[in-house]
Amino acid sequence: MSLFEAGRRIRRPATLLALVMFMTAGTAGPYDITLLSTPQAPGARGHARLIFAPSPFGVALTQDGHAVYDMQITASGLPQPSSLGAFTTYVAWAVSPDLTGWHRLGPVTNGTTTVGHADLNKFLLVITAEADTTGASSRGPTVLHGTSPSGWLQSFLTHPLFRGISQ
Amino acid sequence: MRTSFVLLAALGLAASAQAQDPGTAVRPFDKKHGGSPNMHMLAHVVTHPGAWKLADVEMEQDPNRPYVYACGFTNFDVQIYDVRDPSHPKKIYDWTIEHPELHRGIGAMDGKYFKIGNRYYYAQSYQFMQGSPDTDLGAVIFDVTGLPDASKVKVVARLRYPQAPGGFHNTFAYKHSDGRVLYFATVNEQKALVYDLDKVVSGADSSTWLIGSVPNPTPFKQIGTGSYHDFYVGYDPATHQDKFYGAGLGGYSVWDVTHPEAPKQLFTITGLGMDIAHTFTPSPDGRYAVTETEYQYTPLRVWDLSEGQSGKTQNLDLPISAWTADWRDLAHNHEVRWPYVFVSAYEDGLQVFDLKNPTQPKTDGYYYTCECTHEHGFGGTPDNGWESTISVEQGAFGVDVRNYDGLIALSDMRTGLWLFRMDGFKGWNGKEYGVRDISSVQDYDHGPVGAPSNGASAGARKQQR
Repeated sequence: MSLFEAGRRIRRPATLLALVMFMTAGTAGPYDITLLSTPQAPGARGHARLIFAPSPFGVALTQDGHAVYDMQITASGLPQPSSLGAFTTYVAWAVSPDLTGWHRLGPVTNGTTTVGHADLNKFLLVITAEADTTGASSRGPTVLHGTSPSGWLQSFLTHPLFRGISQ
Repeated sequence: MRTSFVLLAALGLAASAQAQDPGTAVRPFDKKHGGSPNMHMLAHVVTHPGAWKLADVEMEQDPNRPYVYACGFTNFDVQIYDVRDPSHPKKIYDWTIEHPELHRGIGAMDGKYFKIGNRYYYAQSYQFMQGSPDTDLGAVIFDVTGLPDASKVKVVARLRYPQAPGGFHNTFAYKHSDGRVLYFATVNEQKALVYDLDKVVSGADSSTWLIGSVPNPTPFKQIGTGSYHDFYVGYDPATHQDKFYGAGLGGYSVWDVTHPEAPKQLFTITGLGMDIAHTFTPSPDGRYAVTETEYQYTPLRVWDLSEGQSGKTQNLDLPISAWTADWRDLAHNHEVRWPYVFVSAYEDGLQVFDLKNPTQPKTDGYYYTCECTHEHGFGGTPDNGWESTISVEQGAFGVDVRNYDGLIALSDMRTGLWLFRMDGFKGWNGKEYGVRDISSVQDYDHGPVGAPSNGASAGARKQQR
């Protein structure tokens, strides 16, 4: 069935809405973070959406003007933390690009969890297995990770190997 | 009249026969195994478990330091092998970037060792892409003096260049005629960076490390940012100049870097097909050069640089000959030990040809190392495993030659680390071929051959520290 034929068969708005949702599923927007798995949990999948942290002004900002986001994380395929070692839970972190600052956002499970806040301009979203949810620094293995949309803004193409094409 | 036609025809046939490479039938892709009878494989190490294993390879040159450095490419590590028994390389050290699982990019690309005073160092270049940590990281510098005791290997510095994220793709460590040990690095700008390595390893203020840069005079901005890709630096005893031979997007260029803080352009090579200039290596006397351009079907080209070196012309555009292992593929890096050229020829593995007659390159030996499917090379992104169905960029990536005994080390993107010896090649110092001992190998104790004594005396001063 061609796309043209598919269009002719659309009769009701609900069908159209469902088709649009299907076609855009998985498309990362400017507030979306695709989460990548690691060898520690190769079956894990996930994505996250930046949502503004609660604010009486609609858009949450720090005093110095950085947007403040909560993270709506949807994960699946996370194994039992104990299967990775002496761990009981998964924790999400907002990590500075130089990996020196790890800010704990909150616990994460399979399904959808909202944690926060992150107020870095560019950051990595990292989910690790941990012994508890209160640790100030990460000690366990990474199971999912992604990059804030702002982290992708600068492209640097210096060599064929970097261009996504071979020649 | 008839006699004239016959004579003309005969002359034309003779001329074309002289210019034409009679060639040989190319080997079917699925028959590329093993090597020529004169090439002896001593060892093969499968360095990593995944589809991609190594980028470049570096070998120390002092007889009492039998160490090989294997750049772990997308594995983000560097491995050090003790090859005192070349038939049984022993991995003695493995260092990986912190939190490798969070990094994205082509990773550990090029490695160079160097010596300052009585201490040995190794610089591992890195390239991480947008969205990854350490996009500003160019190289990690290790003190490797204590080898083979791996516990004594220490990271002593990291070169970062946030002005142009993307790291250092290629590097060259050079013992300058003024006695300094310099580190030339590609960067994602229209220039190469020049670092003073003594300042880097001595803990000097990092703002003093970078002492200069060499512009790329032929920036081909349609592809990337017009940066350099690779280079060679060598001393020219005839002119008493330190010379930089750069390959960059848009063409090749030669610079006088006797005063690296103020490089002077000498001449260029540009022309059709030269846009993706990749590697540029001169003969010891600078008369000839071998160049590589990075696209499928292109051969290595051989140039007579005389008219450029003498100042008669500012640009060369016609090579004197060319060489390829298989016209359907692409050769990658090379090392010149005149008249021999050692090539890491991607899908065609290790290849060695000679330029005893520079106008007629002759293949001397080979060994296939890729064991791969044609045109299934490197490409795409980390998300598809860097796999492509159009690329020939796979297989032999880097090659190095140990001058004192002729050991050949080769890194293969698909299969790992290889060590070879070639019959009749028991080392190189130039004398046997009537040239000076000038190659990519540096004499860190005495400075460049033919240089005034200041290079040696500066080295001696370092020794006395």
